[in-house]
Amino acid sequence: MRQFLQIALGILSAIGGFVDIGDLVFNTQAGATFGFQLLWVVVVGVVGIIVYSEMCGRVAAVAKRPVFDLVRERVGFGAGLGTLIASSVVNLMTCAAEVGGVAIALQLLSGLPYRFLILLGVLGVVLISWALPFEWIERLFGYVGLCLLVFAVAAVKVHPDWGQVAHGFVPGMHTGSHLVFLYFMVGLLGAALTPYEVYFYSSGAVEDGWGPKDLRINKITSVVGYGLGAFLSFALMILAAVLFLPRGISPQFLGTPALGAQDALGKIGLLLALVGILFAVGGAAIETSFSGAYNLAQFFGWQWGKRERPSGAPRFALSWIVIFLLALGIVMSGYDPVKLTEYSVIFSVVALPLTFLPILLVANDPAYMGRYRNGRLSNVLGVAYFALILAIAASAIPLLVLTNGGQG
Amino acid sequence: MSGRERALDLDLGLGLLDHQIVDRDERNCGKVDDLELTGLSSAEPEVSAVLVGGNAWRGRGLLGRVAAALSGNARHLPWSEIDDVSSVVTLKHAAHELGLGRGDDRAARLVRHLPGS
Repeated sequence: MRQFLQIALGILSAIGGFVDIGDLVFNTQAGATFGFQLLWVVVVGVVGIIVYSEMCGRVAAVAKRPVFDLVRERVGFGAGLGTLIASSVVNLMTCAAEVGGVAIALQLLSGLPYRFLILLGVLGVVLISWALPFEWIERLFGYVGLCLLVFAVAAVKVHPDWGQVAHGFVPGMHTGSHLVFLYFMVGLLGAALTPYEVYFYSSGAVEDGWGPKDLRINKITSVVGYGLGAFLSFALMILAAVLFLPRGISPQFLGTPALGAQDALGKIGLLLALVGILFAVGGAAIETSFSGAYNLAQFFGWQWGKRERPSGAPRFALSWIVIFLLALGIVMSGYDPVKLTEYSVIFSVVALPLTFLPILLVANDPAYMGRYRNGRLSNVLGVAYFALILAIAASAIPLLVLTNGGQG
Repeated sequence: MSGRERALDLDLGLGLLDHQIVDRDERNCGKVDDLELTGLSSAEPEVSAVLVGGNAWRGRGLLGRVAAALSGNARHLPWSEIDDVSSVVTLKHAAHELGLGRGDDRAARLVRHLPGS
Protein backbone atom coordinates (compact mmCIF):
# COMPACT_ATOMS: atom_id res chain seq x y z
CA MET A 1 0.00 0.00 0.00
CA ARG A 2 2.82 2.35 0.94
CA GLN A 3 4.60 1.59 -2.29
CA PHE A 4 1.41 2.17 -4.25
CA LEU A 5 1.04 5.55 -2.57
CA GLN A 6 4.66 6.39 -3.33
CA ILE A 7 4.16 5.49 -6.99
CA ALA A 8 0.93 7.51 -7.18
CA LEU A 9 2.61 10.53 -5.62
CA GLY A 10 5.59 10.22 -7.96
CA ILE A 11 3.32 10.05 -10.98
CA LEU A 12 1.26 13.03 -9.88
CA SER A 13 4.32 15.21 -9.40
CA ALA A 14 5.79 13.99 -12.71
CA ILE A 15 2.62 15.09 -14.54
CA GLY A 16 2.64 18.49 -12.87
CA GLY A 17 6.41 18.73 -13.29
CA PHE A 18 6.52 17.71 -16.95
CA VAL A 19 5.23 21.00 -18.28
CA ASP A 20 7.46 24.02 -17.97
CA ILE A 21 7.70 27.29 -19.83
CA GLY A 22 9.37 25.57 -22.81
CA ASP A 23 6.40 23.25 -23.29
CA LEU A 24 3.90 26.07 -22.78
CA VAL A 25 5.60 28.27 -25.38
CA PHE A 26 6.50 25.69 -28.03
CA ASN A 27 3.31 23.61 -27.91
CA THR A 28 1.10 26.68 -28.10
CA GLN A 29 3.11 28.27 -30.91
CA ALA A 30 3.28 24.98 -32.80
CA GLY A 31 -0.50 24.53 -32.58
CA ALA A 32 -1.14 28.14 -33.61
CA THR A 33 1.21 27.79 -36.59
CA PHE A 34 0.72 24.22 -37.84
CA GLY A 35 -2.52 23.05 -36.23
CA PHE A 36 -2.39 19.39 -35.22
CA GLN A 37 0.41 18.50 -37.63
CA LEU A 38 3.15 18.39 -34.99
CA LEU A 39 1.39 16.22 -32.39
CA TRP A 40 3.48 13.18 -33.41
CA VAL A 41 6.67 15.07 -32.58
CA VAL A 42 5.52 15.38 -28.94
CA VAL A 43 5.12 11.59 -28.86
CA VAL A 44 8.66 11.16 -30.22
CA GLY A 45 9.98 13.61 -27.61
CA VAL A 46 8.18 12.07 -24.67
CA VAL A 47 9.30 8.54 -25.52
CA GLY A 48 12.87 9.90 -25.60
CA ILE A 49 12.64 11.48 -22.15
CA ILE A 50 11.04 8.28 -20.81
CA VAL A 51 13.91 6.17 -22.22
CA TYR A 52 16.67 8.37 -20.82
CA SER A 53 14.96 9.11 -17.49
CA GLU A 54 14.43 5.42 -16.88
CA MET A 55 18.06 4.78 -17.80
CA CYS A 56 19.52 7.49 -15.58
CA GLY A 57 17.18 6.50 -12.72
CA ARG A 58 18.38 2.90 -13.08
CA VAL A 59 22.02 3.99 -13.11
CA ALA A 60 21.35 6.12 -10.03
CA ALA A 61 19.71 3.18 -8.24
CA VAL A 62 22.32 0.56 -9.15
CA ALA A 63 25.63 2.43 -9.60
CA LYS A 64 24.66 5.28 -7.22
CA ARG A 65 26.08 7.83 -9.65
CA PRO A 66 24.23 10.98 -10.75
CA VAL A 67 24.50 12.21 -14.34
CA PHE A 68 27.25 14.78 -14.00
CA ASP A 69 29.48 12.30 -12.16
CA LEU A 70 29.11 10.10 -15.23
CA VAL A 71 29.78 12.98 -17.62
CA ARG A 72 33.04 13.67 -15.82
CA GLU A 73 34.03 10.01 -15.52
CA ARG A 74 33.23 9.13 -19.11
CA VAL A 75 34.18 12.13 -21.23
CA GLY A 76 37.03 13.39 -19.00
CA PHE A 77 37.86 16.79 -17.60
CA GLY A 78 38.15 18.88 -20.80
CA ALA A 79 35.00 17.76 -22.62
CA GLY A 80 33.24 17.47 -19.26
CA LEU A 81 34.09 21.08 -18.42
CA GLY A 82 32.82 22.12 -21.86
CA THR A 83 29.56 20.28 -21.14
CA LEU A 84 29.40 21.88 -17.70
CA ILE A 85 29.80 25.38 -19.15
CA ALA A 86 27.21 24.75 -21.89
CA SER A 87 24.72 23.17 -19.50
CA SER A 88 25.24 25.93 -16.93
CA VAL A 89 24.51 28.62 -19.53
CA VAL A 90 21.39 26.73 -20.64
CA ASN A 91 20.28 26.11 -17.04
CA LEU A 92 20.68 29.79 -16.25
CA MET A 93 18.76 30.89 -19.34
CA THR A 94 16.00 28.39 -18.55
CA CYS A 95 15.88 29.47 -14.91
CA ALA A 96 15.63 33.12 -16.02
CA ALA A 97 12.81 32.23 -18.42
CA GLU A 98 10.94 30.34 -15.68
CA VAL A 99 11.42 33.23 -13.23
CA GLY A 100 10.05 35.59 -15.88
CA GLY A 101 7.13 33.17 -16.29
CA VAL A 102 6.45 33.31 -12.55
CA ALA A 103 6.32 37.10 -12.71
CA ILE A 104 4.02 37.11 -15.76
CA ALA A 105 1.62 34.62 -14.12
CA LEU A 106 1.63 36.67 -10.91
CA GLN A 107 1.00 39.85 -12.92
CA LEU A 108 -1.95 38.31 -14.75
CA LEU A 109 -3.36 37.16 -11.41
CA SER A 110 -2.75 40.38 -9.46
CA GLY A 111 -2.31 43.27 -11.88
CA LEU A 112 0.71 44.52 -9.94
CA PRO A 113 3.82 45.92 -11.76
CA TYR A 114 5.94 43.30 -13.58
CA ARG A 115 9.35 44.27 -12.16
CA PHE A 116 8.08 44.27 -8.60
CA LEU A 117 6.64 40.79 -9.22
CA ILE A 118 9.98 39.53 -10.62
CA LEU A 119 11.58 40.51 -7.29
CA LEU A 120 8.72 39.03 -5.32
CA GLY A 121 8.79 35.83 -7.39
CA VAL A 122 12.53 35.29 -6.92
CA LEU A 123 12.29 36.07 -3.22
CA GLY A 124 9.43 33.57 -2.98
CA VAL A 125 11.22 30.69 -4.73
CA VAL A 126 14.48 31.35 -2.81
CA LEU A 127 12.67 31.37 0.54
CA ILE A 128 10.67 28.26 -0.33
CA SER A 129 13.82 26.44 -1.48
CA TRP A 130 15.70 27.53 1.64
CA ALA A 131 13.04 26.85 4.25
CA LEU A 132 10.84 23.96 3.12
CA PRO A 133 11.82 20.28 3.18
CA PHE A 134 12.23 19.06 -0.35
CA GLU A 135 9.30 16.61 -0.34
CA TRP A 136 7.01 19.53 0.44
CA ILE A 137 8.43 21.60 -2.39
CA GLU A 138 8.04 18.72 -4.83
CA ARG A 139 4.47 18.05 -3.77
CA LEU A 140 3.42 21.69 -3.51
CA PHE A 141 4.52 22.52 -7.04
CA GLY A 142 3.69 19.13 -8.53
CA TYR A 143 0.15 18.94 -7.15
CA VAL A 144 -0.89 22.57 -7.60
CA GLY A 145 0.69 22.33 -11.07
CA LEU A 146 -2.02 19.76 -11.80
CA CYS A 147 -4.34 22.76 -12.26
CA LEU A 148 -2.85 22.62 -15.77
CA LEU A 149 -5.22 19.70 -16.40
CA VAL A 150 -7.72 22.48 -17.12
CA PHE A 151 -6.07 22.62 -20.55
CA ALA A 152 -7.06 19.00 -21.18
CA VAL A 153 -10.69 19.80 -20.26
CA ALA A 154 -10.58 22.95 -22.40
CA ALA A 155 -9.14 21.04 -25.36
CA VAL A 156 -12.13 18.66 -25.24
CA LYS A 157 -14.62 21.52 -24.73
CA VAL A 158 -13.54 23.34 -27.91
CA HIS A 159 -14.65 20.28 -29.92
CA PRO A 160 -11.65 19.73 -32.17
CA ASP A 161 -12.09 17.60 -35.27
CA TRP A 162 -10.89 14.36 -33.67
CA GLY A 163 -10.22 12.81 -37.06
CA GLN A 164 -7.75 15.56 -37.82
CA VAL A 165 -6.29 15.28 -34.32
CA ALA A 166 -5.70 11.56 -34.91
CA HIS A 167 -4.12 12.41 -38.26
CA GLY A 168 -1.69 14.69 -36.38
CA PHE A 169 -0.26 11.64 -34.64
CA VAL A 170 0.83 10.17 -37.96
CA PRO A 171 4.39 11.29 -38.68
CA GLY A 172 4.70 13.46 -41.71
CA MET A 173 5.76 16.80 -43.10
CA HIS A 174 3.27 19.47 -44.11
CA THR A 175 2.50 22.04 -46.73
CA GLY A 176 4.25 25.37 -46.38
CA SER A 177 7.65 26.34 -45.01
CA HIS A 178 9.66 23.21 -44.31
CA LEU A 179 12.32 25.14 -42.42
CA VAL A 180 9.82 26.61 -39.94
CA PHE A 181 8.26 23.16 -39.54
CA LEU A 182 11.71 21.71 -38.83
CA TYR A 183 12.42 24.54 -36.37
CA PHE A 184 9.27 23.65 -34.42
CA MET A 185 10.17 19.96 -34.55
CA VAL A 186 13.53 20.75 -32.95
CA GLY A 187 11.87 23.08 -30.43
CA LEU A 188 9.24 20.52 -29.40
CA LEU A 189 11.85 17.78 -29.06
CA GLY A 190 14.07 20.16 -27.07
CA ALA A 191 11.17 21.15 -24.82
CA ALA A 192 10.41 17.48 -24.08
CA LEU A 193 14.03 16.32 -23.75
CA THR A 194 15.19 19.04 -21.38
CA PRO A 195 18.57 18.13 -19.88
CA TYR A 196 17.81 19.73 -16.50
CA GLU A 197 15.03 17.18 -15.90
CA VAL A 198 17.56 14.38 -16.31
CA TYR A 199 20.10 16.03 -13.97
CA PHE A 200 17.42 16.68 -11.39
CA TYR A 201 15.82 13.25 -11.57
CA SER A 202 19.06 11.29 -11.27
CA SER A 203 20.49 13.46 -8.48
CA GLY A 204 17.25 13.11 -6.53
CA ALA A 205 17.32 9.32 -6.95
CA VAL A 206 20.92 9.11 -5.66
CA GLU A 207 20.09 11.36 -2.77
CA ASP A 208 17.01 9.38 -1.85
CA GLY A 209 19.24 6.32 -1.63
CA TRP A 210 17.46 4.36 -4.38
CA GLY A 211 18.53 0.75 -4.73
CA PRO A 212 17.60 -2.09 -7.10
CA LYS A 213 14.30 -2.52 -5.20
CA ASP A 214 13.27 0.92 -6.46
CA LEU A 215 13.69 0.04 -10.13
CA ARG A 216 9.99 -0.72 -10.49
CA ILE A 217 9.05 2.69 -9.11
CA ASN A 218 11.62 4.22 -11.46
CA LYS A 219 10.09 2.52 -14.47
CA ILE A 220 6.47 3.30 -13.57
CA THR A 221 7.20 6.93 -12.63
CA SER A 222 9.10 7.55 -15.87
CA VAL A 223 6.65 5.85 -18.19
CA VAL A 224 3.32 6.81 -16.63
CA GLY A 225 4.32 10.21 -15.19
CA TYR A 226 5.96 11.55 -18.34
CA GLY A 227 3.45 9.76 -20.54
CA LEU A 228 0.52 11.46 -18.83
CA GLY A 229 2.47 14.73 -18.75
CA ALA A 230 2.57 14.52 -22.54
CA PHE A 231 -1.23 14.74 -22.58
CA LEU A 232 -0.90 18.29 -21.30
CA SER A 233 1.36 19.06 -24.26
CA PHE A 234 -1.21 17.58 -26.64
CA ALA A 235 -3.93 19.65 -24.95
CA LEU A 236 -1.96 22.89 -25.32
CA MET A 237 -1.34 22.23 -29.00
CA ILE A 238 -4.94 21.18 -29.74
CA LEU A 239 -6.31 24.25 -27.96
CA ALA A 240 -4.01 26.57 -29.89
CA ALA A 241 -4.83 24.80 -33.15
CA VAL A 242 -8.59 25.25 -32.64
CA LEU A 243 -8.61 28.74 -31.14
CA PHE A 244 -5.56 30.61 -32.44
CA LEU A 245 -4.74 29.20 -35.88
CA PRO A 246 -8.05 30.17 -37.57
CA ARG A 247 -7.84 33.69 -36.09
CA GLY A 248 -4.21 34.16 -37.15
CA ILE A 249 -3.08 34.72 -33.55
CA SER A 250 0.64 34.15 -33.08
CA PRO A 251 1.17 33.58 -29.34
CA GLN A 252 4.13 35.72 -28.35
CA PHE A 253 2.98 35.99 -24.76
CA LEU A 254 2.94 33.47 -21.92
CA GLY A 255 -0.63 34.40 -20.99
CA THR A 256 -1.99 33.34 -24.39
CA PRO A 257 -2.58 29.65 -23.54
CA ALA A 258 -4.49 30.77 -20.43
CA LEU A 259 -6.77 32.80 -22.69
CA GLY A 260 -7.47 29.56 -24.53
CA ALA A 261 -8.68 27.99 -21.27
CA GLN A 262 -10.82 31.08 -20.62
CA ASP A 263 -12.33 30.90 -24.07
CA ALA A 264 -13.42 27.31 -23.42
CA LEU A 265 -14.28 27.38 -19.70
CA GLY A 266 -14.78 30.99 -18.67
CA LYS A 267 -13.27 32.73 -15.66
CA ILE A 268 -12.66 29.55 -13.66
CA GLY A 269 -10.72 28.16 -16.64
CA LEU A 270 -8.55 31.27 -16.76
CA LEU A 271 -7.90 31.19 -13.02
CA LEU A 272 -6.98 27.49 -12.95
CA ALA A 273 -4.76 27.92 -16.00
CA LEU A 274 -2.87 30.86 -14.47
CA VAL A 275 -2.43 29.11 -11.11
CA GLY A 276 -1.28 25.97 -12.94
CA ILE A 277 1.20 27.98 -15.03
CA LEU A 278 2.46 29.80 -11.92
CA PHE A 279 3.21 26.57 -10.06
CA ALA A 280 4.52 24.71 -13.10
CA VAL A 281 7.05 27.42 -13.97
CA GLY A 282 7.79 28.12 -10.28
CA GLY A 283 8.62 24.44 -9.73
CA ALA A 284 10.71 24.41 -12.90
CA ALA A 285 12.59 27.54 -11.73
CA ILE A 286 13.59 25.66 -8.57
CA GLU A 287 14.52 22.53 -10.55
CA THR A 288 16.72 24.49 -12.97
CA SER A 289 18.58 26.37 -10.24
CA PHE A 290 19.16 23.14 -8.32
CA SER A 291 20.22 21.33 -11.48
CA GLY A 292 22.85 24.02 -12.09
CA ALA A 293 24.12 23.57 -8.53
CA TYR A 294 24.09 19.75 -8.84
CA ASN A 295 26.17 19.91 -12.00
CA LEU A 296 28.79 22.22 -10.52
CA ALA A 297 29.04 20.19 -7.31
CA GLN A 298 29.17 16.84 -9.08
CA PHE A 299 31.75 18.02 -11.60
CA PHE A 300 34.13 19.42 -8.97
CA GLY A 301 33.35 16.83 -6.29
CA TRP A 302 31.75 19.11 -3.67
CA GLN A 303 29.31 17.96 -1.03
CA TRP A 304 25.81 18.34 -2.48
CA GLY A 305 22.22 17.56 -1.72
CA LYS A 306 18.82 19.17 -1.46
CA ARG A 307 18.15 17.25 1.73
CA GLU A 308 21.28 18.60 3.42
CA ARG A 309 21.06 21.71 5.58
CA PRO A 310 22.64 24.58 3.57
CA SER A 311 25.59 24.62 5.99
CA GLY A 312 26.12 20.89 5.31
CA ALA A 313 26.57 21.46 1.56
CA PRO A 314 27.53 25.15 1.53
CA ARG A 315 28.99 25.56 -1.97
CA PHE A 316 25.97 23.74 -3.37
CA ALA A 317 23.62 26.06 -1.45
CA LEU A 318 25.51 29.18 -2.53
CA SER A 319 25.46 27.94 -6.14
CA TRP A 320 21.68 27.69 -6.40
CA ILE A 321 21.25 31.05 -4.68
CA VAL A 322 23.72 32.68 -7.12
CA ILE A 323 21.89 31.06 -10.07
CA PHE A 324 18.61 32.59 -8.86
CA LEU A 325 20.29 35.99 -8.44
CA LEU A 326 21.80 35.84 -11.95
CA ALA A 327 18.40 34.82 -13.34
CA LEU A 328 16.88 37.77 -11.50
CA GLY A 329 19.44 40.09 -13.12
CA ILE A 330 18.69 38.72 -16.60
CA VAL A 331 14.92 39.11 -16.29
CA MET A 332 15.16 42.51 -14.61
CA SER A 333 17.32 43.77 -17.48
CA GLY A 334 14.25 43.42 -19.67
CA TYR A 335 14.75 40.22 -21.71
CA ASP A 336 11.39 38.86 -22.85
CA PRO A 337 10.82 35.51 -21.06
CA VAL A 338 9.19 33.98 -24.14
CA LYS A 339 12.20 34.84 -26.33
CA LEU A 340 14.51 33.60 -23.56
CA THR A 341 12.56 30.34 -23.51
CA GLU A 342 12.93 29.86 -27.25
CA TYR A 343 16.68 30.44 -27.07
CA SER A 344 17.14 28.30 -23.96
CA VAL A 345 15.27 25.35 -25.51
CA ILE A 346 17.21 25.57 -28.78
CA PHE A 347 20.58 25.91 -27.01
CA SER A 348 19.71 23.08 -24.61
CA VAL A 349 19.45 20.79 -27.61
CA VAL A 350 23.11 21.51 -28.37
CA ALA A 351 24.13 20.40 -24.84
CA LEU A 352 22.09 17.18 -25.05
CA PRO A 353 24.54 14.76 -26.74
CA LEU A 354 27.27 15.06 -24.11
CA THR A 355 24.65 14.72 -21.37
CA PHE A 356 23.00 11.60 -22.81
CA LEU A 357 26.08 9.77 -24.13
CA PRO A 358 27.60 9.04 -20.68
CA ILE A 359 24.22 7.76 -19.45
CA LEU A 360 24.00 5.39 -22.41
CA LEU A 361 27.59 4.19 -21.96
CA VAL A 362 27.33 3.58 -18.23
CA ALA A 363 23.89 1.95 -18.49
CA ASN A 364 25.63 -0.60 -20.75
CA ASP A 365 28.68 -1.08 -18.57
CA PRO A 366 28.53 -4.38 -16.66
CA ALA A 367 31.15 -3.09 -14.21
CA TYR A 368 28.71 -0.42 -13.04
CA MET A 369 25.40 -2.11 -13.71
CA GLY A 370 25.88 -5.88 -13.41
CA ARG A 371 22.65 -7.66 -14.34
CA TYR A 372 20.77 -4.36 -14.44
CA ARG A 373 22.57 -3.17 -17.56
CA ASN A 374 20.52 -2.10 -20.57
CA GLY A 375 18.36 -4.72 -22.21
CA ARG A 376 17.82 -4.88 -25.95
CA LEU A 377 14.82 -2.51 -25.97
CA SER A 378 16.62 0.16 -23.92
CA ASN A 379 19.64 -0.09 -26.20
CA VAL A 380 17.75 0.05 -29.48
CA LEU A 381 15.75 3.05 -28.26
CA GLY A 382 18.77 4.61 -26.51
CA VAL A 383 20.95 4.45 -29.64
CA ALA A 384 18.12 5.57 -31.95
CA TYR A 385 17.41 8.56 -29.75
CA PHE A 386 21.08 9.37 -29.46
CA ALA A 387 21.30 9.50 -33.26
CA LEU A 388 18.21 11.74 -33.31
CA ILE A 389 19.72 13.98 -30.64
CA LEU A 390 22.92 14.34 -32.68
CA ALA A 391 20.88 15.32 -35.73
CA ILE A 392 18.77 17.90 -33.91
CA ALA A 393 21.82 19.25 -32.03
CA ALA A 394 23.57 19.87 -35.34
CA SER A 395 20.55 21.56 -36.91
CA ALA A 396 19.18 23.55 -33.94
CA ILE A 397 21.15 26.78 -34.24
CA PRO A 398 21.17 26.94 -38.07
CA LEU A 399 17.36 26.56 -37.97
CA LEU A 400 17.04 29.24 -35.29
CA VAL A 401 18.98 31.65 -37.51
CA LEU A 402 17.44 30.65 -40.86
CA THR A 403 13.85 30.88 -39.63
CA ASN A 404 14.39 33.96 -37.49
CA GLY A 405 13.22 32.06 -34.41
CA GLY A 406 10.31 30.34 -36.15
CA GLN A 407 8.96 33.58 -37.63
CA GLY A 408 9.73 32.38 -41.15
CA MET B 1 39.82 -3.25 3.06
CA SER B 2 42.81 -1.17 2.14
CA GLY B 3 43.60 -0.35 -1.46
CA ARG B 4 47.14 -1.40 -0.70
CA GLU B 5 46.19 -4.75 0.71
CA ARG B 6 43.72 -5.71 -1.99
CA ALA B 7 44.90 -6.69 -5.43
CA LEU B 8 43.19 -4.18 -7.71
CA ASP B 9 42.45 -4.96 -11.30
CA LEU B 10 41.78 -1.39 -12.24
CA ASP B 11 41.68 0.57 -15.48
CA LEU B 12 43.21 3.83 -14.28
CA GLY B 13 41.56 5.86 -17.01
CA LEU B 14 38.04 4.52 -16.55
CA GLY B 15 38.08 3.28 -12.96
CA LEU B 16 40.04 5.93 -11.08
CA LEU B 17 40.66 9.17 -12.95
CA ASP B 18 37.83 11.72 -12.58
CA HIS B 19 36.10 9.67 -9.89
CA GLN B 20 34.53 11.11 -6.76
CA ILE B 21 36.64 11.17 -3.59
CA VAL B 22 34.85 10.72 -0.27
CA ASP B 23 36.48 10.97 3.12
CA ARG B 24 36.22 8.58 6.06
CA ASP B 25 32.88 10.17 7.03
CA GLU B 26 31.52 9.69 3.49
CA ARG B 27 31.63 13.39 2.69
CA ASN B 28 32.46 14.43 -0.86
CA CYS B 29 35.83 16.20 -0.94
CA GLY B 30 36.98 16.48 -4.54
CA LYS B 31 37.70 14.43 -7.63
CA VAL B 32 40.67 12.40 -8.79
CA ASP B 33 41.91 15.19 -11.04
CA ASP B 34 45.22 13.58 -11.96
CA LEU B 35 47.50 10.73 -10.94
CA GLU B 36 51.17 10.69 -10.07
CA LEU B 37 52.86 7.57 -11.39
CA THR B 38 56.32 6.39 -10.36
CA GLY B 39 58.57 3.67 -11.65
CA LEU B 40 57.39 4.07 -15.23
CA SER B 41 60.65 2.66 -16.52
CA SER B 42 60.52 -0.29 -14.13
CA ALA B 43 58.57 -3.51 -14.55
CA GLU B 44 55.97 -2.46 -11.98
CA PRO B 45 55.00 1.19 -12.27
CA GLU B 46 52.66 2.30 -9.53
CA VAL B 47 50.31 5.15 -8.63
CA SER B 48 52.15 7.06 -5.93
CA ALA B 49 49.70 9.92 -5.42
CA VAL B 50 46.28 11.25 -6.31
CA LEU B 51 46.15 14.94 -7.27
CA VAL B 52 43.09 16.97 -6.34
CA GLY B 53 42.03 20.39 -7.59
CA GLY B 54 43.92 23.49 -8.75
CA ASN B 55 46.78 23.03 -11.14
CA ALA B 56 46.16 19.27 -11.34
CA TRP B 57 43.88 20.26 -14.24
CA ARG B 58 46.87 21.54 -16.23
CA GLY B 59 47.29 18.31 -18.12
CA ARG B 60 43.59 17.96 -18.93
CA GLY B 61 43.20 19.66 -22.29
CA LEU B 62 42.81 23.29 -23.28
CA LEU B 63 39.93 24.05 -20.90
CA GLY B 64 41.86 22.26 -18.16
CA ARG B 65 44.86 24.57 -18.71
CA VAL B 66 42.61 27.62 -18.50
CA ALA B 67 40.95 26.31 -15.32
CA ALA B 68 44.36 25.47 -13.80
CA ALA B 69 45.67 28.97 -14.53
CA LEU B 70 42.75 30.39 -12.52
CA SER B 71 43.24 28.04 -9.56
CA GLY B 72 45.73 27.39 -6.78
CA ASN B 73 47.96 24.43 -6.09
CA ALA B 74 46.71 20.86 -6.21
CA ARG B 75 46.63 18.66 -3.12
CA HIS B 76 48.88 15.59 -3.36
CA LEU B 77 47.32 12.64 -1.59
CA PRO B 78 49.79 9.77 -1.12
CA TRP B 79 48.27 6.49 -2.29
CA SER B 80 48.64 5.20 1.27
CA GLU B 81 45.76 7.55 2.21
CA ILE B 82 43.39 5.65 -0.07
CA ASP B 83 41.25 3.18 1.81
CA ASP B 84 39.20 1.72 -1.02
CA VAL B 85 38.40 2.16 -4.69
CA SER B 86 34.87 1.30 -5.79
CA SER B 87 32.66 3.63 -7.85
CA VAL B 88 34.08 6.24 -5.45
CA VAL B 89 37.55 6.60 -3.93
CA THR B 90 37.36 6.42 -0.14
CA LEU B 91 40.00 8.02 2.09
CA LYS B 92 41.29 6.77 5.42
CA HIS B 93 40.99 10.15 7.13
CA ALA B 94 38.63 13.10 7.37
CA ALA B 95 38.87 15.64 4.55
CA HIS B 96 40.08 18.49 6.74
CA GLU B 97 42.98 16.39 8.08
CA LEU B 98 44.22 16.05 4.49
CA GLY B 99 43.64 19.66 3.45
CA LEU B 100 40.64 18.76 1.28
CA GLY B 101 37.19 20.34 1.16
CA ARG B 102 38.58 23.76 2.08
CA GLY B 103 36.23 25.49 -0.34
CA ASP B 104 33.25 23.96 1.45
CA ASP B 105 34.73 25.05 4.80
CA ARG B 106 35.10 28.65 3.57
CA ALA B 107 31.60 28.68 2.09
CA ALA B 108 30.19 27.18 5.31
CA ARG B 109 31.55 30.13 7.32
CA LEU B 110 29.54 32.43 5.02
CA VAL B 111 26.38 30.32 4.92
CA ARG B 112 26.26 29.87 8.71
CA HIS B 113 25.45 33.58 9.09
CA LEU B 114 22.13 33.04 7.33
CA PRO B 115 19.10 32.13 9.44
CA GLY B 116 17.89 28.56 9.16
CA SER B 117 21.16 27.33 7.68
